[in-house]
Amino acid sequence: MKKSIYAIAFAVLFLSACKNDQKQAESNDVQSKEMQEGNNMDADTQKSGLTTAIIDGYLVLKNALVNEDSKKAAEGGKMMLAAFSNFDMAKLTDSQHKKYMEIAESAKEHTEHIVKNPIEHQREHFEALSIDINDLIALVGTEKTLYQDFCPMASNNKGAIWLSETEEINNPYFGNKMLKCGSIQKQLN
Amino acid sequence: MSIFKKVFLFLLIAFVGIQFMPTTRNQSNEVLESDFTKTFNTPNNIQQLIGKPCYDCHSNNTKYPWYHKIQPVSWLLENHIKEGKKELNFSEFGTYSKRKQKSKLKSIISQIEENKMPLSTYTLIHKDAKLSESDKELLTKWLTQLRDSLQ
Repeated sequence: MKKSIYAIAFAVLFLSACKNDQKQAESNDVQSKEMQEGNNMDADTQKSGLTTAIIDGYLVLKNALVNEDSKKAAEGGKMMLAAFSNFDMAKLTDSQHKKYMEIAESAKEHTEHIVKNPIEHQREHFEALSIDINDLIALVGTEKTLYQDFCPMASNNKGAIWLSETEEINNPYFGNKMLKCGSIQKQLN
Repeated sequence: MSIFKKVFLFLLIAFVGIQFMPTTRNQSNEVLESDFTKTFNTPNNIQQLIGKPCYDCHSNNTKYPWYHKIQPVSWLLENHIKEGKKELNFSEFGTYSKRKQKSKLKSIISQIEENKMPLSTYTLIHKDAKLSESDKELLTKWLTQLRDSLQ
């Protein structure tokens, strides 16, 4: 019995290692291809610590929505608002600045709604907020490894994205009603 | 003087007193270039549908009811309009960034669909501002098309 458990554990380890290797190889492939084409600057997410506090708040919010915890979601929202007001805009380039202001204005407005509303309304604003944060990362970058997930049933079947720190799908739009609905669209970093 | 009379007298004095408190009116004859209807060249029927139920609290021009000069009604209306305009101002819609326009349109659509707007307390008094099911369908369809056209 014990032996077979060890055997299974080994097999799982071996398989997951293979999977990782494969993924690594794939991403290396993609990278070298992009480098050859000379457009890796645009395609890759920049490494930047500027957005870390904002994303930390976002992830607290996201995980609270997964867990149907409206109060905790509001806390995540508050973390985000604080992070936005502490954001060091002096570190942005001129070309980033205007776009950042638009994104930040929109994101803050959605976050304010999230801070003071019940969970259904929080989820409505979380949808638009996720697009804002995704665009913010595309603009400024992040030092985190994140996954852009997509749920085709969210937003009245129009579909909506969210960002996650884990590869595992945990759906913030439906919580425990449809926890596993969705798939990874893209890996950032 | 009985307690009842005293209380009544106090309330009467208070009521007269608050009539002198100033309030600002939300009125303007000018339709700004940034107005929703000008920004998107809205057809007449849509203008009507948005104008009546929304513009009293969500624009720079309120069509006040006759009793609006009586306190505390003035205060209530003033606060209401201030809040409403902060959230969404159709007079300044054209000044919003594309991102904000899109997200506002989305919120407008869902508020109408979920019967959260126009407020039931508002349509109770303004019976003609109530949107029928077919009005709602026409309006949300048009707004959805507009939203999808903004890239």
